[in-house]
Amino acid sequence: MTELIISQVVNGLVLGFLYVLIAIGLSIIFGMLGIVNFAHGIYFALGAYFALTLRDSLGPWSIFLAPLGVGIVGILIEMTLMRPLYGKEPLLGLFMTFGIALFVEELIRTIWGATGHPFNAPAWLSGFIIWGPVLVTKYRLFVLVLTVLILLALWLFLHGTRYGRIIRAGSRDPEMVSMLGINLKRVFTAVFGLGTAVAGIAGVLAAPLWSVVPSMSESAIMPAFVVVTIGGLGSFGGAVISGLLVGVSVALSIQFWPAASTAVMYALMILILLIRPRGLLGESWERFE
Amino acid sequence: MKKTLGGFGINRRTLLTGAAVGAVQLATPFVITARAAESVKIGLLLPKAGPYAVQGEIGHQGAQIAIDDFSGHVLDRPIELVWLDESSPQSTQQNMHKLLEEEKVVAVQGGVSSGDVLAIMPVAERAQKLLMASGPNATEITGKNCSKYTFRVDLPNKVTVNAVYPLLKQRGKKWYFVVASYAWGIDAYNQMKEVVVKDGGNVVGYDQAPLGTTDFSSYLLKVRQAKPDVVYVGLGGTDLTNFLKQMKEIGLTNQVALSSPIVNDTDLWAAGPEAAFGTYPKIWNYTGAHLTKRGTEFVEAFRKKYNQPPESEGWQDWFAMTSILTAIKETKSTDTPKLVGFLEEHKFEGYKDTPIFFRNFDHQLVQPLLVAQVKEKITDKYDYFDIKSEYPKDAAALAAAYGTQAEIGCTFKS
Repeated sequence: MTELIISQVVNGLVLGFLYVLIAIGLSIIFGMLGIVNFAHGIYFALGAYFALTLRDSLGPWSIFLAPLGVGIVGILIEMTLMRPLYGKEPLLGLFMTFGIALFVEELIRTIWGATGHPFNAPAWLSGFIIWGPVLVTKYRLFVLVLTVLILLALWLFLHGTRYGRIIRAGSRDPEMVSMLGINLKRVFTAVFGLGTAVAGIAGVLAAPLWSVVPSMSESAIMPAFVVVTIGGLGSFGGAVISGLLVGVSVALSIQFWPAASTAVMYALMILILLIRPRGLLGESWERFE
Repeated sequence: MKKTLGGFGINRRTLLTGAAVGAVQLATPFVITARAAESVKIGLLLPKAGPYAVQGEIGHQGAQIAIDDFSGHVLDRPIELVWLDESSPQSTQQNMHKLLEEEKVVAVQGGVSSGDVLAIMPVAERAQKLLMASGPNATEITGKNCSKYTFRVDLPNKVTVNAVYPLLKQRGKKWYFVVASYAWGIDAYNQMKEVVVKDGGNVVGYDQAPLGTTDFSSYLLKVRQAKPDVVYVGLGGTDLTNFLKQMKEIGLTNQVALSSPIVNDTDLWAAGPEAAFGTYPKIWNYTGAHLTKRGTEFVEAFRKKYNQPPESEGWQDWFAMTSILTAIKETKSTDTPKLVGFLEEHKFEGYKDTPIFFRNFDHQLVQPLLVAQVKEKITDKYDYFDIKSEYPKDAAALAAAYGTQAEIGCTFKS
């Protein structure tokens, strides 16, 4: 039994990294723009569908180009539909993103059909590795490594570059940054594009594991919201800790009480919010108080 | 001074009134025609989102083909299909009320999830309206929870487990169960476990998974550890697709026997040829020697309209709608008691290789089913199955395969 529990904990951590990857784009967009993006799952789904379309002609390049395409869609949506809502009633943003989610899901159904599409991992990533009691598939290990690299790159970009400093400053005090002569509109557009592109990467990577169907956004949006809420809205580190916590909790509940494996993440969210309403690493932001 | 028009002593108001009366007179035949052409509304409750969304879409397409077969009309009135979402027992029940009370439908068809169908059966019973349950499999729907107003097209779990068990037991005695944690999955476990244990088999594991589970990797670690001979999954829709994809990921594809209480082709199409495997009971298949002339016509009509072959859900909802429309046409009525009476007596010929019929004591459609195995080498995008046999093999044993009235325990309340 101990061996199986160790195996489940490791499996939960690997699953947790997938949750982190799905949630991080949502966290970036909320943290920088203050938008609770209900359409996040749709960018995840678009990532998978773009890769599906491109893989026959472009092969491995589709892994890079599909998220890029999602980022461009995100930028266009931000410029046309989201920008007019900045600084207005937050509820409007919720309604707008909810509407976008419904519309794009129908669009996916119209273009690619209601039936699911097969999507396999490349042959060189098939198989698994066994270390003692631990079994990890090569593909999940690949997802884990890629997620860590993406998180590292994002952290370095936001904390180690001039653009990153502008984004972080703009997210805290947009008026002050504007007064310094920086075009915040462009910055916000770029952040939205970045967040949606990361969601697109998650969609591409999840496609060989989960069903590629028009409603696949549903499988992403709820874990993403739970992870971001537990971690603290907008907190990068919080999302990572929270994603891993949710992954391990789900895996252990499957070992001991499988029927409750979906409920456990919501129970965890309720518990953490009761103890710390801002989430694990959530901070007080003057802008949102 | 009164103004008159054209010197005829008619004022403008009189002329306008006369014109209005004349117009009404002229229009009367059209008003009557419009009333005669008031549509016959039939409600459809199938999922538009969630794990069974694909089944909902294909089922809707099947029902549309049935309407096309009737040229869109019955009793010289246009047929109107009102499709509302089937998403959870509570919201499906609300939509059932909406169909009956606001849309005034004459009958309701649908139901992929047994839990949802069990929730709407009492609503149909109270309203005394026909419910044609096209897709649920929990045994109790035409068993201990049966209803005078509910007819079921799909197969009960109790029948399907007996159909596939002889093939599966050849693979070994150690069984692992992973089932969706609601009425259908739990019933599937109970029915198959009874057969397995009675025959000397062992249950080496049993897990319930919430409907809509995306990641089964932790379940599969348990399965792998238990080293079963047969994995029996009460999973459908995207749940089954995810399970198959992740079985492949962990190297279990074709390493164990795999089956489920029923299967939809779409779930396997989505998993792809490399991940799809197993032996399954099927209500119908679009290829095979069992296809009748009527069945072939349905396949052709479906292909022509939707550019892909129909799968099981399409056939179920095509047949369900056909049976409702046939009842309306033959009884020349939309009155529920007349429709129920007709369906209890009628034998539908040409749909399978033996006449099929709803039994008058439980309203279960009695029909042969297929035992299908996923092809070793899949070369076609849609043609995944080899039909191994029909169940029961002997048409004379058909009614007995569905159990006697005493065995199934159905008693209509009203």
